[in-house]
Amino acid sequence: MSNALEVRDLKASIGDLEILRGLDLTVPFGEVHALMGPNGSGKSTLSHVLMGKTDYTVSGSASIDGVDIMGMTVDERARAGLFETFQYPTNVPGVTLDDLTAEMAASNPSDNGYEERTAAASTRLNMDRFRGRAVNIGLSGGEKKRSEMYLLGVANPKIAILDEIDSGLDIDAVREVADMVESLRSSELGIVVITHYNRILKYMSADRIHVMVGGRIVKSGGAEIAEELEAKGYTEYQVAAVG
Amino acid sequence: MASRRSDAADRLAGLGMPSEREEIWRYLDLDFDPAFASAPSAPGDAGAPDSVIDGWEGTVVTIVDGFVTTPGVSTVAEVGEELTMVNDEHLFATAFTAYAPGAALIAGDLLADHVLIDVQVTSSATTFPGVHVDVASGSDATVIVRLRSTTDAPATVVPTITATVGDNARLTLTIIQDWNYQTRSIGRGVVELGRDASLTLSEIGLGAKLGRLHLDVNFLGDGSTAKVYGAYFGEESQTLDYRYFMNHIGMHTRSDMFLKGAVADDALSVFTGMIRIEKSGQKTEAFQTNRNLILSSGASAQSVPNLEILANDVKCGHGSTVGPLDKDQRYYLMSRGLTSERADRLQVRGFFEEVVEQIPDKAIAAWARERINGKYVSAQEEGRV
Ligand SMILES: Nc1ncnc2c1ncn2[C@@H]1O[C@H](COP(=O)(O)OP(=O)(O)OP(=O)(O)O)[C@@H](O)[C@H]1O
Ligand SMILES: [Mg+2]
Repeated sequence: MSNALEVRDLKASIGDLEILRGLDLTVPFGEVHALMGPNGSGKSTLSHVLMGKTDYTVSGSASIDGVDIMGMTVDERARAGLFETFQYPTNVPGVTLDDLTAEMAASNPSDNGYEERTAAASTRLNMDRFRGRAVNIGLSGGEKKRSEMYLLGVANPKIAILDEIDSGLDIDAVREVADMVESLRSSELGIVVITHYNRILKYMSADRIHVMVGGRIVKSGGAEIAEELEAKGYTEYQVAAVG
Repeated sequence: MASRRSDAADRLAGLGMPSEREEIWRYLDLDFDPAFASAPSAPGDAGAPDSVIDGWEGTVVTIVDGFVTTPGVSTVAEVGEELTMVNDEHLFATAFTAYAPGAALIAGDLLADHVLIDVQVTSSATTFPGVHVDVASGSDATVIVRLRSTTDAPATVVPTITATVGDNARLTLTIIQDWNYQTRSIGRGVVELGRDASLTLSEIGLGAKLGRLHLDVNFLGDGSTAKVYGAYFGEESQTLDYRYFMNHIGMHTRSDMFLKGAVADDALSVFTGMIRIEKSGQKTEAFQTNRNLILSSGASAQSVPNLEILANDVKCGHGSTVGPLDKDQRYYLMSRGLTSERADRLQVRGFFEEVVEQIPDKAIAAWARERINGKYVSAQEEGRV
């Protein structure tokens, strides 16, 4: 059976700056993986490169459910089942969340489940009062993350990359997001949680934790890795990566 | 009265076409012959009502080729008054004074209901439609001025809209410029606000080969306020020109100007904004924002906000942007599964929505939304943007 996400030898650069330097990552369906790494190690770049943002020169391969996505445009990747919650969600003036979800449905006419999922996600995340407001404008940091999780629920992807969905959240909200991630867990979805904090990992069970340094995954393992990082930081990996 | 008219006719003989070297005409192509002498002496046949007029539930006043054709509606001259609010001395203003058959007087009982003024041009000659709105102290008025061509005639038109808003009165004025793409319109507007008077003005700029609207809002009374919104979409070789002056004379006055436009093909838009605060205008707050989307490489927008402040205790702000569609928004929307065409349409709709949603009449807002976004969708389908 194919995996939710398979990435092989992925490299990405902007001008002379190499950001991803041969990255491998496999996320099977039904699993939740955490991706940790120091600031600037390339975590957000990984998610934008997978999404097909055109700023980078890219090589390597990536597939979703066995389908190669590398030649696809951003929207084709989204429809192939990739969903990224943005670390910094973009403001869209004058466009309400309802306008956006209506356009998402219209863009994917072969999927007739949007209406039902919109209603369900709205109830689950208590989004009713935000749906008539412009996308991300004037929302607090936590509300933006909630709005991103809502759109994830509407989109129904095969692989979800949650880029720092727990940053800037209060203690209760972190727990809430962790619960949401757990509730999304299904045999039809793989999840990558990019995070700096052990906290969210305490409220959910990550099947695997990957440590990213200098544009590569330098170590993968179980929950013990997060504990170890919390105690020692990234220094040993950074030295190893440079060496 | 007659002397004002004949004086203007006398002066007209000595006036030529204004020069584009003068700041007030900068960016405009004035290389045409307005042929004032051929102004019609009677209105042409009125055009059929369209969807805006059909759906209108209030009063309709029709002006055809400058002549008021609705029975029972007087002109300013017919009631023995003079229109003295426009004092420009250039060719077009002088010609208006000399030749205009008479500005429709929209006042008193006529304003009891909402009024739609259907200003039609059928003739290719130069015509001079005029509208004067007089809102009595303490009252409320809603007026929509619909400027349209009912034929393909390449007309020149000098529409002149003036309004006085009495103490404690409110005027909601919507102007829709919807001329055919051969018509040149040198429009003028002057609004005077009394004490605690308020104005909400929305302008929708759709049509004209050359569409100029030179607007003065004079805040004469203390505490007077105005919200001025604009949405315009230029395409082909259109020039849409806005020259908006907020003149704060009274104390504690407030103006908010918010105009958004897009240009495609070889179109040009011009925004010249002025906030002028006289010495007497203490405690005034005045803001102007103009944002422009450039949708094609041949299109351009000039945006020139100005401040002239003679009082020392005021709050002012201005912002102006000219640029292409936002890449980050496109990427974000596409990452949600929207094709780039849909993403751009949604971005354009959102861009204008911030203005369109401010149009007080919801039916007119819906109509404007459809027309503006329709222009973008057509341009996209035809590969022009
Ligand atoms: N558009 C860009 N232009 C120049 N440099 C870039 C660009 N995008 C990313 N970088 C650089 O690439 C590196 C990786 O950035 P990225 O945002 O992927 O890091 P990150 O791991 O997500 O960091 P953080 O934990 O702070 O979010 C950084 O050094 C960043 O400055
Ligand atoms: Mg990041």
